[in-house]
Amino acid sequence: MATGAPWGTITGIPMADAHGSDLLALTQWLSPAFPVGGYAYSHGLEQVIAAGDVTDAASLSAWLRDVLRFGAGRMDAALLAAAHRGEDAAWLTQVARSLAASKERWDETEALGRAFAEALRGATGDGPAPMPYPVAVGVAAQALSLGTGTVAEMFLHAFASNLVSCAVRFVPLGQNEGQAVLAGLHGVIVEVAAQAVALPVDEVAASVPRADLAAMAHETMETRIFRT
Amino acid sequence: MYDADPAPILQRARGRASVALSLTGGRTRLDRLHQAGSAKAFLPRVHGAAPEVVFLNTAGGLTGGDRFRFGLDVGPGAAAVATTQTAERAYASAGGVAGMEVALTVGTGGALDWLPQETILFDRSGLRRRTEIALAGDARLLWSEIVVLGRSAMGERVETLDFFDRRMVTRDGVPVMIEPLRIDGAVLARRDGAAVLGGARALATVALVAPGAEGAAGRVRDVAPGVVQAAASGWDGKCVVRALAGDAFELKRYVARVLAVLRPGPLPRVWQI
Repeated sequence: MATGAPWGTITGIPMADAHGSDLLALTQWLSPAFPVGGYAYSHGLEQVIAAGDVTDAASLSAWLRDVLRFGAGRMDAALLAAAHRGEDAAWLTQVARSLAASKERWDETEALGRAFAEALRGATGDGPAPMPYPVAVGVAAQALSLGTGTVAEMFLHAFASNLVSCAVRFVPLGQNEGQAVLAGLHGVIVEVAAQAVALPVDEVAASVPRADLAAMAHETMETRIFRT
Repeated sequence: MYDADPAPILQRARGRASVALSLTGGRTRLDRLHQAGSAKAFLPRVHGAAPEVVFLNTAGGLTGGDRFRFGLDVGPGAAAVATTQTAERAYASAGGVAGMEVALTVGTGGALDWLPQETILFDRSGLRRRTEIALAGDARLLWSEIVVLGRSAMGERVETLDFFDRRMVTRDGVPVMIEPLRIDGAVLARRDGAAVLGGARALATVALVAPGAEGAAGRVRDVAPGVVQAAASGWDGKCVVRALAGDAFELKRYVARVLAVLRPGPLPRVWQI
């Protein structure tokens, strides 16, 4: 992927979200049933719950909102968007690896990206080379006639949905409470995706030092179920 | 000690200081020193094996429109410690942001400890700083950065800020660590958030970037955090330590304890601690 050439082909159809089947393909790739293994990663939320920083729906919503707006949400969406635009995937791979805030975050983005490429190859006979997860999704989604913003929104939604599932099990929260938190994040997901699409990779920023600290502290938790 | 001074009215300041060191006859020696405008660099006499380079902003701080550049080249096999004479203060800006570039290189077999003193961000300050450290081959880097929100002696609460601190390390041209810290009004509005700053007003990162550096994380975890919240992680040729505190002085003391584990010898003499 050193050339940044798109994996698959861009169909030449205007990026107007015209193809319902392409939206279904992306929905499948980002669904919990797609064998990427995202359920094994809590992005540090397991540590945050254990530390008592997330104890209910309100504190979960605030934590997720900040991580989406100022942390991995905005960062990963910007990497995905750059990959989807066709920027050099080898360079983006190095940047994404360099931006990982801790060992487990690095493992998370590498393992998910690798599993995503394998799962896509298994499902469609073709898939991108292994690369960090947001870059891999951005590259793969070049084959779909979907706008970059839509791909970023769907990616962020899957990210948030996975963490809500984690919280429902381990805070714990009621299923309905969890889904209400997720529904309440739709607006911020749309806002972050729109910003990320316009954000050059050099301007990608991180503003969640405490979430990064939690991701590091997760490594030394005595009992843990999640890999991050 | 300058915390209580009012922000001076400054002309837009310009400064460039660059230093090159190389290994000659088994010792690291000064090759080149260039200074222009309000930036200076000097090499105090030190007893350690590695020379110390101290950068200084003679304008006394940064304000909107200022442009500074510090450069240091450490040649193959050479070793150096570099720091700043005092804390860097970003004053309230009447308009625009200050720009600061730090460009450091370390040749194969070389080693650099880049240990600038803390950056203090006054209310209504703006600073874009870009630090790029280019390592070659197996070069070793130890880097610490401390950022403080507001003047502690005055109990200043920072409400408006435009701070973007892009920190990047490359090895043989390939990025190996990027920490792009941004703190602006939107982030400050959420400063008490558990994911954001949790109410802390000083934050630090210490990174060792070297072959095998991941192994240092265990030793760093043994450093007593005291009142500081801290954690360490080691992976892929890096050991990174992050810390947050309500009190800047306690944070700096913690960073000093971490540095003592990661490097032999005393801290640079100019460090105020």
